[in-house]
Amino acid sequence: MKTIIITKKSDYTWLRDIFPGLHPLLIPLCNKPFIEYLIDFSILVGSSGLRIISDGVISDVENFCEHGSQWGVEISYANILPSESLSKVLEKNSRFCSGERIMIISGLLFIHYNKRSDYRSFFASLPPGEIFGCSNGNLSLTGVPSELGKQETPPLLSPVVLDCIGQYYELSNEILHHRLADYVLPGYSNEAECFIGRNVVLQKSVTVIKPIIIGNNVQIFTGSVIGPGAIIGSNVIVDRESTVSESIVMDNTFIGEQLEVDKKIAAGNLLIDPESGYSLTMEDPHLLSGIKSKGISGSPFQRVTHGLTAAWMIMLLLLPYLLLKPFLKLSGCWKTEKIVYHSMKHGKKISLNRVSIEKQSILASIAVFLSLDRFTWLFWVLNGHLAIIGCSPVSVSQGIQIINNNTAGYRPGVFSYSEAEDWPQNTFDSDIVDHYYAVHSNLIKDIFLTQKALFNRIHHEDKI
Amino acid sequence: MTITEKNINNFAIISLQGILNASSAPKLKSHFEQSPEGVSVVIDLEKVEFIDSSGLGVLVGIARKKKASSAVLKLANLNDRVKKVFEITQAYTLFDIYDDVTAAAIE
Repeated sequence: MKTIIITKKSDYTWLRDIFPGLHPLLIPLCNKPFIEYLIDFSILVGSSGLRIISDGVISDVENFCEHGSQWGVEISYANILPSESLSKVLEKNSRFCSGERIMIISGLLFIHYNKRSDYRSFFASLPPGEIFGCSNGNLSLTGVPSELGKQETPPLLSPVVLDCIGQYYELSNEILHHRLADYVLPGYSNEAECFIGRNVVLQKSVTVIKPIIIGNNVQIFTGSVIGPGAIIGSNVIVDRESTVSESIVMDNTFIGEQLEVDKKIAAGNLLIDPESGYSLTMEDPHLLSGIKSKGISGSPFQRVTHGLTAAWMIMLLLLPYLLLKPFLKLSGCWKTEKIVYHSMKHGKKISLNRVSIEKQSILASIAVFLSLDRFTWLFWVLNGHLAIIGCSPVSVSQGIQIINNNTAGYRPGVFSYSEAEDWPQNTFDSDIVDHYYAVHSNLIKDIFLTQKALFNRIHHEDKI
Repeated sequence: MTITEKNINNFAIISLQGILNASSAPKLKSHFEQSPEGVSVVIDLEKVEFIDSSGLGVLVGIARKKKASSAVLKLANLNDRVKKVFEITQAYTLFDIYDDVTAAAIE
């Protein structure tokens, strides 16, 4: 038996709006990533191999699961196109499937199971076809069933499709209140209904009311009340005299002092009411905020060098900019358009002037030669929103389709790698080049490619 | 880079071995320029040790040409290193990718 898990971007659009940057297979359910439940279940079913297939980015899942040695099962990965049918997916993965019985879990489908039950013989005896199916997910089998070890009573098997935030909250609550014993959950548990992770500090007079689950590196300050029904993720701080009950606090969240969080989901500075689906973004960092994790904007030395280069270019180009811009603007060669782009800083947006200069005069040619159209962008490098060289910035209206903000590939720059490599701009090919270098770049490559980009821009077409 | 070619089910199976970068990409490009345009192709990437943006660019160019001549380009046997580059650049959205050459060489 082998297992194929198929998730398509269309299955989890609701989730991306709420938790941008978090892959749906990694969303925590009682502090255990969703994919781990699926892996555990496929092992109980008797799978020797597991293939995770998606039409989106799965590098985060790959980094988490690696080749499956942690679970003693071989895990591999494959990409598909959004429009491909199940038969096409199986055809494309025919080497993996060759002659084996395959269990296919499609969509964001959670399957309630019991770690003590025997699913191996039950699944081996089931006929091929759909076991459970609905519009957003299904569980099916291919291959020839075996009559050996057929069970009279089927073991617990109850599927739930995660299709909204309310469903996610309900499922987490159901596991916490009724099914804690069914799964292997993270943390140690000296008594029932209480799981606590590593490096958890509960200060004096903290009240804990079961059932609760607390992740790793959590600090709960004096006088706080945790529970009942609290699921607290890792790297969380609950400040003094706050109450968290019947709520989920996601990883890297700070809960301010004297707050009452009841029947809510807190994720960074976002507070979600799971029942209505409404969310509230807190502007006051003392109430609710995210705890910063390591960024993706390169090494500190690389960032400092980008900043220094930008400062040097600003000093060099300030005078030509002040002299040439008014003249070109008056002559109609200098046209600007204000566009809001996604910043290098996660979740932030920046408003940039996209300048087009028509090379109608010598002065316009000089302005292009000096890249004055990007002059104002250089200031955004100083505060870390842009790099000197990186991807072409993606506008907010365009959405983040190709460049995904949960990948390490988005590092917008004043100049782009595709400009350096002289690829046609605003095409999918240029995105490929941008992504390639955004991940593989280093300081030396950045310096070399910035020079190349500047050189290419001089020799470019009449209009920049 | 070594390029070997054979035929299965009217598909030209091109097996690449070695490094597909800026210096070897022109060799692959010229190999395709010399072959008939209307023939569908499967490129076996199992033994490709490294691929960079130039290598990807050539593959994209070949896919475009094949599409224009109503033929297809399929990729097969991507190893982990190649898969990583396809994942980073999201180039997988442009290709039909199979895990087996024989399965890919079916109309």
